[in-house]
Amino acid sequence: MTGPFGDTVAGGGQPDSRRPEDSTRLENWISDAWTRFWFTPADPRPLALIRIAAGCLALALWWSYAADLETWFGADGMLPSRSLGSWRSPWGGSVFDLAATPRMLRGIHLVGGVVLLALAAGLFTPVASLLAPLVFASILQRGPMLAGPADDLVVLILWCLAIGRCGDAFSLDRLFFARHANPSAGSFRNRIAVSLLRVHASLLTIAALLAQLKGDVWWDGTAAWWLAARGGDRTIDLTGPLAASLYATNLLTHAVTLFEAAFAIGVWCVPLRRLLVPVAVVGWPLVGLLAGEPFWGLGMAILALAFREAADRTGGGILG
Amino acid sequence: MPPEPVRAVVTVILGLYLVGLALCLAGNSGSGASALVRTVKSRLFAPWMGPAWLDLGHDVRLTHGQPDDADHRLELRPWNEAARGRTITYPSAGMHGERAARWRRLALAIAVGEQDPDREGLLPAAVAVGGFRPVGAEDLSLRVLREILPESADVADGVARRPRFEQAYAARVRRVAGDIQLLKTEDPAELAPLVDEVKP
Repeated sequence: MTGPFGDTVAGGGQPDSRRPEDSTRLENWISDAWTRFWFTPADPRPLALIRIAAGCLALALWWSYAADLETWFGADGMLPSRSLGSWRSPWGGSVFDLAATPRMLRGIHLVGGVVLLALAAGLFTPVASLLAPLVFASILQRGPMLAGPADDLVVLILWCLAIGRCGDAFSLDRLFFARHANPSAGSFRNRIAVSLLRVHASLLTIAALLAQLKGDVWWDGTAAWWLAARGGDRTIDLTGPLAASLYATNLLTHAVTLFEAAFAIGVWCVPLRRLLVPVAVVGWPLVGLLAGEPFWGLGMAILALAFREAADRTGGGILG
Repeated sequence: MPPEPVRAVVTVILGLYLVGLALCLAGNSGSGASALVRTVKSRLFAPWMGPAWLDLGHDVRLTHGQPDDADHRLELRPWNEAARGRTITYPSAGMHGERAARWRRLALAIAVGEQDPDREGLLPAAVAVGGFRPVGAEDLSLRVLREILPESADVADGVARRPRFEQAYAARVRRVAGDIQLLKTEDPAELAPLVDEVKP
């Protein structure tokens, strides 16, 4: 006898006897979906693109420490290791703790910069991609109160890159050592890395959205004003237009909320994804600019790139 | 596709990581965390996710329109105005971008840290001691200034917008016979008014 899914039902069609096979089918479906999502070999090119973007972003953030390195982390600096106990993870440590002299401090910072540069350029990528998250996490552990949302995001992206073979395309490694290799040769490691980036993109957006929605200003529509009104060195000043129109302020606030909600959920729906990813690549940096966190916006845009598929054989796609 | 044993091992690792990620997001939110989440996270996941800088809530709220969402700055100057030394403000006028943002985060951490009994006084003392040399004095006034966010009506009415600041934290930090002393000072504007003696 044939069951509802075209399978053979044992026991002469008694209702109870269907359950084990149905559950087996469900298990198989889950198992197949899990395997497809995490293990189908993936083209290295999207990951390589993310490597270049994330490497440049990490370098920019790394560079922002350079001028005040001794003021913060020097032997007579403002943030001595001994007073960081309650800010730092009890298991956390930093290679910068070893710097006893300004020259050592500068040396460690320089070496870290070289590692990040190597990652961005794709030079000795297997080693650079492993060292990059270690050195970046290390500088954040040295001064946890200096770290911002962009730093948190970049570390996460760097860890994901360390899993994949992100140096197999668009890299100096490929230029020097594997010129004749197939640039689109897939690996399940690339798939794991890209899938992790996708999961993080969605979860982090949900976390940010939930945090925002705890504040009344995101409900009464004035959040955009409070973002624009904050001082600092702003690239764009929207206080004039927003002060002139409450509706414009409300519209911008609700647009940010809707964009985040749509991105967090919509990217899992393939037809919507095609529309949302280009919007996200532009939209996240704009949200970052509005919020005074441009690097965080860029980091989110890089995460959104993980939803772009590589060019298929018919052409098209971001790399087509 | 990797062989079955590899897939099995990776699946276990991914499962563990995803549980850890969910607990980190739930356990590091600004609203606190349940004892269960806190305990499981701190015992099983924080020891390996913490050093990798993965034990994070990623609760980027952007703004809640609260005073803490405003920009903060740090000011160090000699306690005795007549003494030698100079006043330094971080971020200074020449600082921009992420560098300036890190100084603002440090100033905010000083102000917010004072509400935490485990951290009270630690950061301002360390920062002030680090500031002895740049300021040129070992008896400093350390202040965290918080920008007062303007109302949209003020800007719409054409009132010129000048950044206005209020004092979020202030302390006197000095070195006396090799020991560091931190004396928290109150903003005169926040002190309770004197009450006349009650007359019968």
